[in-house]
Formats: sequence, structure tokens, C-alpha cells
Amino acid sequence: MQLSSLRLRRRLLPWMFALPAVATMAFGLLYPVAESFRLSFYELKLGEAVSPEAFRGLALFAEVLADSAARQSMLVTLHFAFVVVALEMVLGVGIALALEKPIRGMSAFRSIFVLPMMIAPICVGLIWRYMFDTNAGPINAWLEPFGVKPAWLADPGLAFLAICVTDIWQFTPFVFIMALAGLQGLDRSTLEAAHLDGVSGWQMIRHIKLPLIAPILAITILMRLIDALRGLEVVYAMTNGGPGLSTELFSLHIYKSAFVTQRMGHSAALSVCLLIATMVLSAALLAFANPIRRGR
Amino acid sequence: MAARNAPADLLRYAGVTLMAGLVLLPLAVMGSTSLKTQADTFGSGFSFFVSPTLDNYRTVLEGRFLGYLGNSIVVGVGSTAITLILGTMCAYALSRFRFAGRTSIAMGSLLLRTVPPAVLAVPVYFIWNGWGIGDGLGGLILVYVALNLPFTIWLLYGFIEQVPGELEEAAAVDGCGPFRLLFTIIVPLLKPGLAAAAIFTFRIAWNELVLASVLTDRTTRTMPYAIYLFITDVGVEWGKLMAAGILLALPPLIFTLVAARQIVTGLTAGAVKG
Amino acid sequence: MRISRRHSLKAAGAAATMLAAPGIVRAQGTLWSKLRGQTIVVNLPSHPHYAVAKQIIPEFTAATGIKVEIDEMQYLRLKDAQVLQMGKPKGDYDVIVYVIMWKTEYVQRKFLVELEPMFGNADLAMPDYDRGDIIKAYYEGLGLVGGPRGYLPGPGAKLYGIPYGAECSVLAYRKDLFAKHDLKPPVTYDDLIAAARTIKTREPGIGGLAQRAQAGHQVTAGWLIHLTPYDGQVIDDKFEPRVADPAAIKATEVYKELIDTGPAGGAAFDFGQMMNSFLQGQSAIYCDSISVFGPARNPASSKVVDTVGYTVHPKAVKHSGELGGFGMAIPRNSQRQEAAFAFIQWMTAKAQDVKVTAKGGQPTRLSTLDNADVRKIYPVDVYRECLKIANPDWRPIIAEWTEISEKVLGIGLSDVITGKAQIAPTMADAATKIRAILDRAGYYKSRG
Repeated sequence: MQLSSLRLRRRLLPWMFALPAVATMAFGLLYPVAESFRLSFYELKLGEAVSPEAFRGLALFAEVLADSAARQSMLVTLHFAFVVVALEMVLGVGIALALEKPIRGMSAFRSIFVLPMMIAPICVGLIWRYMFDTNAGPINAWLEPFGVKPAWLADPGLAFLAICVTDIWQFTPFVFIMALAGLQGLDRSTLEAAHLDGVSGWQMIRHIKLPLIAPILAITILMRLIDALRGLEVVYAMTNGGPGLSTELFSLHIYKSAFVTQRMGHSAALSVCLLIATMVLSAALLAFANPIRRGR
Repeated sequence: MAARNAPADLLRYAGVTLMAGLVLLPLAVMGSTSLKTQADTFGSGFSFFVSPTLDNYRTVLEGRFLGYLGNSIVVGVGSTAITLILGTMCAYALSRFRFAGRTSIAMGSLLLRTVPPAVLAVPVYFIWNGWGIGDGLGGLILVYVALNLPFTIWLLYGFIEQVPGELEEAAAVDGCGPFRLLFTIIVPLLKPGLAAAAIFTFRIAWNELVLASVLTDRTTRTMPYAIYLFITDVGVEWGKLMAAGILLALPPLIFTLVAARQIVTGLTAGAVKG
Repeated sequence: MRISRRHSLKAAGAAATMLAAPGIVRAQGTLWSKLRGQTIVVNLPSHPHYAVAKQIIPEFTAATGIKVEIDEMQYLRLKDAQVLQMGKPKGDYDVIVYVIMWKTEYVQRKFLVELEPMFGNADLAMPDYDRGDIIKAYYEGLGLVGGPRGYLPGPGAKLYGIPYGAECSVLAYRKDLFAKHDLKPPVTYDDLIAAARTIKTREPGIGGLAQRAQAGHQVTAGWLIHLTPYDGQVIDDKFEPRVADPAAIKATEVYKELIDTGPAGGAAFDFGQMMNSFLQGQSAIYCDSISVFGPARNPASSKVVDTVGYTVHPKAVKHSGELGGFGMAIPRNSQRQEAAFAFIQWMTAKAQDVKVTAKGGQPTRLSTLDNADVRKIYPVDVYRECLKIANPDWRPIIAEWTEISEKVLGIGLSDVITGKAQIAPTMADAATKIRAILDRAGYYKSRG
């Protein structure tokens, strides 16, 4: 009797620790996600209650899949994610390799590099909207001596470039910090051994350093990819997705469907598509590096 | 390691300085613009130095802005505190016990980490209003805690794993209960991890816009949404916008400068130690 | 008893009522006395008209004892906030300011209180509130829902809102630049297009016509300005899309031409940037809402105070101007509907309308246009001409309009003006998409 109650307590104990967090995630995250799946079967206006008459089965998914705007927005998002992540990786890792050797005052610089990613995205969007403003913005003022006055946010190509520049400004330092941490954590004796074997310069980077920090770089890439798929506020403040759909990231597309045209079910169907896309990526994230699963 | 090489070091300094300059430039533009009059922001050409005025800040601080600042503080601090407590407990359970459901929690929370806020906006508005928490700070805190728990658990798990088990065993022998054990023995050893987790949670809770826009009303609005609504039609009032932006960005910026080490730890801990 | 009071007030004479005579205040004192001490929440846009209107709200509180809390936001954000609040069992707002294009959708979703019964309630209605004096096009265009096509005046139409900050279109031009290049104020679209081109080629750094063009709502609104003058329409009487018809194609070509000869960066302007471009001297012509009148006179917002001339919206195939702007309405889930109704009446009454217009706001009433003070600062004669051509069917205000405007035309037109897409195929594609939206909403069912 005594023993079994003790055993029960021991069984319950981990759950007493885990339950509050698990319950919060279940109610605050899992349930809404599940609700999203359910709502995607109904044609409802925002604020309307679910009713059997509004049931449309898979019709909303069919609409999303056939919708050229949704497809274009997904392409814009993937294009954006690919461009910014690739450039941020090249720049961030490149700079980290160049600045790898510890220098005095680096920690002060590091504080500065962290700043952009701590600022509210809506704020970042506003700053860069002003930077790129055709008439009032500083960038065009600095370009004036060269006799050019690009209409940054009014041209599809330039607007896309502008949102990429903004993201690169905000997150290259993040990649830099991750890569630097990886490089400085490398086992010195390995590097010394390679050095004694006559490996140096580009060879050293290409065949020793990069492979050794590959796991960190993989995680960095995936974190950035997931973030790039999530973002909407910066673009919202800068271009509102325009011109046309040239900067309409998928999250913004979902937001507009829900709050501009107020089609709750349609936005839920779009959400499910985005969730599937991010889930595929996060499955990759798990495959690369899941510290919890690896534990003991 | 290698002998100090002065020209190379100089080059390095030039490199970091250039990079820091590029990072700071837009922030400097924001600060300078926030001190300009409406007429100056439209003047042809851009100049950092104009006769500065605090008028923009005065206008921004009129009305409800201080109330919204208060809301943001409540939501930021509340979400952070709750996330840390729940996250520490859960990470501890995952690290120290083998129990049914452990793997599901670990996998599930990692998957949930990727849910975009835009996806949550509609269902959360729908459900929260059904529960009657659709326009209070409590509802907003709930969703922010839920959003931040996965990363916090992930991060703290790594730190708890590094705490040797012998400490607890000794304490348990002394008759210390499991909860007291966690909060008096383990938590003090997690300070760097907790600091990092706190900053990241606070960052989301302070900056998030979409969920804040659907879960608040006129009195419970947080700063990002208030600023978003502040974008007016009466011409683009860049000065006022930038002043509002500065007020929004200032707390995280101060945090960052004070606790950059912890942020870097937090960023890299999962990856490097994992 | 009540009738006699109404009579005595009428006898007091129009002149006295116009100046907010103490008599009205006293009448309101008894009229709305039980509402004293209540607090209402008004959701209004940060827009030039409401910026002025806000200034007299303390007088309303002083006169009635009803406190007013203002929740102000950018005008395109109003809808998000309003729908989120009106979708709840108990809403936060007692008075909402809506843009004309949302009226049918709001009424269809049963968000708004019908106003006729409240006007019929002698305990609530101001005895001397003269509805006949409200500019008819505004009263019908903003207030009535449920008539022909769902939004036009006629059988079935009911009153859901009162226009306030309503507007039609006017053409504003820089007199100095026009004189310099020997240009006449444009009467026809050909004049307008030629003038814009002249300015663009001869005045470095200055564009012709400032237009709205940001993707979404703004680009659709900018295009609509030119659509009906060319006798085009978005949908016809049978709700069939007409955006790919020759008239609409022509209007689109004109819109693009005017973007090309417009100010730098003009293909992404929202409303504020458009007006600002004209007021800061970066564009020579403006053809949009009459809400430019106030800011154009104000040296704080305008560098061209003394050089602006006005004329009516030019004619292409026909004269047809915008009819739009804001109205005030009461949400069904408001807990203070009576006080809200008092507020709406007081703000739109004659005396207040004069006061706000004289400060730079937009007139709602015919009598305001006759006021001597208003005439001194307001281009009343041009305004009357503009009102004559304001077209209530300028834009189809069906419940699905937002979706058509933002997701179909707002994208396609943006692609057209930035040169990313050709006009004819884009408009044909838009017609298909519009038809799909209306089909989903059930517009074609009755005809099998």
C-alpha cells in the first residue's frame, strides 16, 4: 500500500513539473492550431459562429490551391527566404572568418551587432520605409550627387530588393554571432594539427573549419528560414505587400485574408498550408539538431 | 596563439567598425528624424543636423501613450515571469525524469516553436472571445507564454543538463522536497540561461503586433499596435513616427546593451552546446 | 407640451439656431438630461476633417454632460478595429466612423443600428435637427443601405448613418506653374493629360498629377477617379464585371499615363503621400477628395498656400465625380446607443457644421455653404459645382467590395502601373476573378 502510493507519487512527480507548461502550450498553441484546421472547412466571416450551413468541406483548400495570388505569394516568400538566408549566411560567416581572432573590445561591438534583431519589426519597417522613401528618404538624398532618384518602393524589383536589404540589415549580425561562437568554440589542437600538416588559408577554411561548424550553420540556416517564413510586420509597414504582390509574404497574405477581406475560413486554409510548409522545415531542424532527444 | 600582427589587427578593427557603422546608421537616422520638425523632414536632401526639437515626443506622449506603455510593461514582464517559471519546471522534468509522454512533449514543443503568429491570430480571436478573455491583458499574456515556452524549454534544458546530478542527490538525502530542490539548488545555477530566456521572451512580448492587434481594445493596447495605429493620413508625419519608434525601441535597446553577453549566450547555447 | 417647445424653437428663428444659441443648449439640457454623466467611446480616423472636428467635442460635453473618449487611428485601420469590436457580444465602441465603402457590408452583417426609429423618438431627437438641409448626395450616399443594388437610394433603403467628413472630388492645380507654362485649368481629360505632360517635361523634379497608387485599396481608388468619367463601370446592373470593357481599358490607360507623367515614386503613394506631394510642391495637379481644401490653406502642412486654384473634376465622355468619405453610425453592440445618437446629432447640427467648416473641416450641410464666414475661406462656388457631378454609383458599394478592391483590382492595377503587366490581359483576368467572388456570394443564383 505504502509502496504503491510512493510509486504513484514518483510517477506523478514529473508531470507535476511539466503539466503547467504542457497545459499552457496545449490551450494557447495546440488548440488554436487545431481550431485553424477546423475553421478551414467553413466559409465564415470574421466573428461569425461556426454553423453547419457554412460547411464547405475541402472547397476552401481547392480555392487556395487554384488561386494564383496565393501561389505567387508563396513564391515571393520562398524567393525572399532563399535570397536573404543565402546572403546573410555568406556575409555573416565571411565576416566571422575574417574577424575570428579575438580582438580587444569585441564584446562592445557584439552588443552593437545584436541591436537590430531586438528592435520591434514594426519599428524596423518604419525606419526602412523612411530610408527608402523616394522624396524624403536619406538613401535618395545620398544618391543625389550621382544623379539618380530610384522610386524604391514603387517598383516591383526595387521594392523586393528593399525588403531584402532590410532583412539582411536586421539578421546578418545574428548569423555572424552564431558563426563566430562556433569558430571560437573549435578545438584548437585540431586546427594546430592541420596547420602543422601544411593546411592553410582557404584550404583550412574549406576543409577543416566549415565542416566542423556545419551543425551550427545548419541550425542557423533553419532558424533563419523559419523566421523568414513567419515575418510580416516589416513588410506590412514598408510596402503592404506591393507593388502588386511583389513583396506579399505569405504571413501577410494570411493576415489580409483574415482582417481585410475578413474571410476566416479562407485564412485558416492558407494558415494550414503555411503550417505544413514550416512543419516540413522544422522536421528538418529536428533531424539536424534536437538537443532533448539526444540527451542521455 | 599566433603572434600579434599589427596591420592585420588594424584591418580587423576597420572591418568591425564599418559593420557597426552600417548597423547603427538607420538607428541614427531614426533618432535624428525624431528630433526634426515636419517641415524639416520634407526639406529636399537629408541632413543629420538640424535645429532639434522635442515637439514630436511631446505630441506622441499626449493622450493614451503612457497607458499603452504601461500595458506593454505588464504584458512584457508578466509573460516573461510566467514563461520562465513554467519553462524551468518543464525543462527540469524533461532533463531529470524518464516518464511516459516525455518524448511527445519534447517533440511537440519543438514543432510548436515554429508556429507563425499570423496563423494564430484568427483562431485565437475566435477562441479567446468565446472564453471571455478576448480583450484583456491576461489573454495576451496567455498566448505569449504559450508561444515562448517551446524556445525557453529548449534553451533551459541545455543548461539543466550541465548541472551535475550529485548536487540534487545530496540535497535529497538532506530531506529537501523536489520543488524546493529545483528552486533553491538548481535555479541559482541557471542564471545565464534564465537571463537569455528572459530577454528572448520579453523581446517577443514587447514587440509582437499581430496578436496584440486582435486581442486588445482601446484600453489594453500595447505599444507596437498603438504605433501602428499612429500612422496617420495627414501626410506622412515622419518625425512623430520616428519618435514613437524610438520610444518603442528604447527599452529593448537598453536591455541589449546591458545584457548583450546573455543574449549571445542564449543565441548560441542551443546550437553550440547541443 | 413637447410640440409647443418645438414650435417655440422654430419661432426663435434660424439665425439664432445657427449660432448655437443658448436656447439649444437649454433644450438639450432637458432633452438629454438622463444621459448626463454617461461616457461614450468614439472611434474616428486621423483625417484632416476629424482633426478639426475633435476640437469642438469638449463643447459637446459641456453642453450635454456626456463625456467622450476618442479612439483615433489611420482611416484604413478603422475597419479592422471596428469589425473586431462589433464581432463581440459587447463592443467597445458607441460611435463608429466608417468609410462609405463599408456601409453595405456592415449592415448586411447586422453590425449597425437603424437610425429612423431613433429620429422618431422625441426623447432622443433634437427638435430642430434639419435632415433636409444635409447635402442630399451625402445623405443618400453615406446613410442609406438596402435600396437598389443594395446601396443606392430608392425603395427599400433605410438610414444607418449620418454623413460627416463626406467628400466629392475636385481638381486642384498650381496657378503659378500653370501661368508659367501658359496652361489653362483643365476642363477635359485631354487638357489634364496634356497639362500633366507639359509639367513633367518642362519642370524638372515636379510631376503632373499626384495620384494614389499603393497596392490594394489605394490603387483601386486612384483608378476609380478616372473610370466613370470615361463611362466605365466595375459591375453592371446584372452584377456582371465590366472592368475589361473598352471604356474601362481606356480609363486604365489614362491612369497609367498620368502615373508616368506624375511625381517620382508616385506609383506607391497612399492618400497622405499623394496629398503631401501636391502640398509640398512636388506635383502640380491634384484630383481627388475635397479634403485638400483645409490642409492647402494651412502653412504648417502646405508650401503652396497662395498658389492653389480649384476647378471641377474634368470631363472625359461625361462629367462624373467621386462620392465618398466618412459617416457616423452606432454599433448594435454599443451599450450607450442613446448618448451615441445624441453625439451624432449634435456634431452634425447646423451650428457645429459651420464652426468645423470655418476651422478647415468639410461641410455636411447646404446651409453651411451659405454662411458668410465659410464663404470667406472655402471655395464654395467650385464646391457646389463639384457636388453637382458627384456620382452615387461611382463605385459599387456591395458587401464584397473590399475583396474586389483589395485583392483583385488592387493587385492587378498595381502590376499595370509599375509596368509589370499588360492592361488588357490583366483586366480580363480581374473580370474573371470578380465574377468568381460574386458567384461565390450568390449573385447569379437567382438567374439559374
